[in-house]
Amino acid sequence: MILKLAWRNIFRNKRRSIITVSSIVFAVVFAVTMRSLQHGAYDNMLKNIVGNYLGYVQVHFKGFWNEKTIDNSFYIEDLDSLKNDPTVTFINPRIEGFALASHKKESKPVVILGLDAKMENQNTPIKESLINGEFLSDNSDGILIGKGLQKIMNVQMGDSLVFLSQGYQGSIASGIYPINGIVDLKTPDLNRRTVIMNLNRAQDFFGINHMATSAIIGPKIDEWEKTEKSIKEQLDSSQFEVMNWQQMLPELKQLIDVDRAGGTFVLIILYSILTFSLFGTVLMLAEERNFEFGVLVAIGMRKSMIIRVAILETLIMALVGVILGLLLVIPIVTYFHFYPINLSGQMQEVVEQFGFEAIIPTSLDPSISLTQTFIVFMITILVNLYTIIKIKNIQPSKAMRA
Amino acid sequence: MISIQNIQKTYQSGDIKVQALQNINLTINKGEFTAIVGPSGSGKTTLLNIIGGLDSPTEGSIRINTTEITQLPENELIDFRLHHIGFVFQSYNLIPVLTAKENVEFLMLLQKQGDQFRNERTLKLLKAVGLEDQVNKKPNEMSGGQQQRVAVARALASKPSFVLADEPTANLDSKSSENLLDIMQQLNKVENTTFIFSTHDQRVIDKANRIITIEDGKVISDTHHSKD
Repeated sequence: MILKLAWRNIFRNKRRSIITVSSIVFAVVFAVTMRSLQHGAYDNMLKNIVGNYLGYVQVHFKGFWNEKTIDNSFYIEDLDSLKNDPTVTFINPRIEGFALASHKKESKPVVILGLDAKMENQNTPIKESLINGEFLSDNSDGILIGKGLQKIMNVQMGDSLVFLSQGYQGSIASGIYPINGIVDLKTPDLNRRTVIMNLNRAQDFFGINHMATSAIIGPKIDEWEKTEKSIKEQLDSSQFEVMNWQQMLPELKQLIDVDRAGGTFVLIILYSILTFSLFGTVLMLAEERNFEFGVLVAIGMRKSMIIRVAILETLIMALVGVILGLLLVIPIVTYFHFYPINLSGQMQEVVEQFGFEAIIPTSLDPSISLTQTFIVFMITILVNLYTIIKIKNIQPSKAMRA
Repeated sequence: MISIQNIQKTYQSGDIKVQALQNINLTINKGEFTAIVGPSGSGKTTLLNIIGGLDSPTEGSIRINTTEITQLPENELIDFRLHHIGFVFQSYNLIPVLTAKENVEFLMLLQKQGDQFRNERTLKLLKAVGLEDQVNKKPNEMSGGQQQRVAVARALASKPSFVLADEPTANLDSKSSENLLDIMQQLNKVENTTFIFSTHDQRVIDKANRIITIEDGKVISDTHHSKD
């Protein structure tokens, strides 16, 4: 009976019900799209910079992060104990050193990234960044260079680059390496300065056999904090530093935090508008039906039951609004996830200056839709407090006199 | 039996006190067909509201059978009304989204009566008020007279001890009024339900077997008539 009353009451004033449902649909579509774009942009940044390149957790020889010299290297076997840690899924040793790259008359400072080809192929998606040529193999002597660097140095596949740098403990490091492939590391800054070579070639180049400057530690999905804590407990803190991506890229973390706060502010405004819209419905409903509520109490219907009818009415409208909103927004979000918005013109330049890829994909994280749905329901319950108070205070003889 | 003792009702309007009812003492027995009459503002509706537990007296007591209703907590009073008092209002006050059948059935649903009992009683009452062919019509699809007959059926659906009818014929034409009164009189006889009206309508007064006249909040006459 309660459901029947609530359902039929919705159709008493169709126009008002349509306006209410529409405002909920709009709020859900706008909020989910906005949040999905934001989260999609963050996810993309993290995937490109952290997931593909930097890793969520790194181990370095103590002091390496502040002073990135090849002297701050450590023996890879010192991390063997971490292989038994259940929170660690892989350990990829890397060498990161600086050098001057030359080709004909062009010279450019670059970062040489030494990778264990086999382990990187197994554990990171860095191979996916290859856009031309061949990725590293165990015996490959060649190098991969960022597509930006290719343009700057004006080199082609098969050309060679000459590197000059300072090796371990003041030695001179030099070598000539053929270009075997071009990579797109998705961030313009990395593309302009990165050279990738096999770990053993980098060890030979810098004179640090069996050593590395850093190791990317693989956490289980979304559990990097647990992994970080666990390995910190195992490693000698006087010899090693353990850093997470937020410490390595504080500006990215800050950017995400600031952007998230801005998004939250916009959502607060949106939800305030929705709250007033729903409150308007509830207010009119309560005032218009005051007489009717009085009659119902008079003939023997408990106030708690009338409250349930009134709340159910708004909850049904909220549910319909949320479902319609989700049905509308899910295709939109899915489309822009697979076909991201490509920024162009000045916007593209600004984003690339910050070192990010100039695209905005949407996130398909279901928690975004669930959170927005939950918020809409909470607002619905909140605005119904007025109806509850109104019905609680009804005196049938007064209500029927009005 | 309804026992009304020393009922006083005072309304406060700003600094002014309005004495709506003064020292009302009445006993209404089961099966009576009683009309409360008096000019506008005399206190008829206020008295009816207090008897029905819709308003509380400033002083005095209302005892219905063995229950002192002025002392009941809110929910118990609502439940008491559901089980013991039927209401017929001047403006019908049916639930607009429910059909005639559903309106009559409504109180029995609140009473948690079984399906079969509800169905049988609803159809019996709608037949008694001559609306057996209107069961699926909503209030806005019926005339005023038909709506008021549904309201009478609804008032009787919960098998109340008595029915309070506040000017039930005020919004009806003379033919509908006559028809409604005949139905109520018939139900009064068949179901032995007590009817208490507040009214100006001479037709109601003519059919009543007891007439209580109120003026300025006081009972000025209480006369019994035999209609048989």
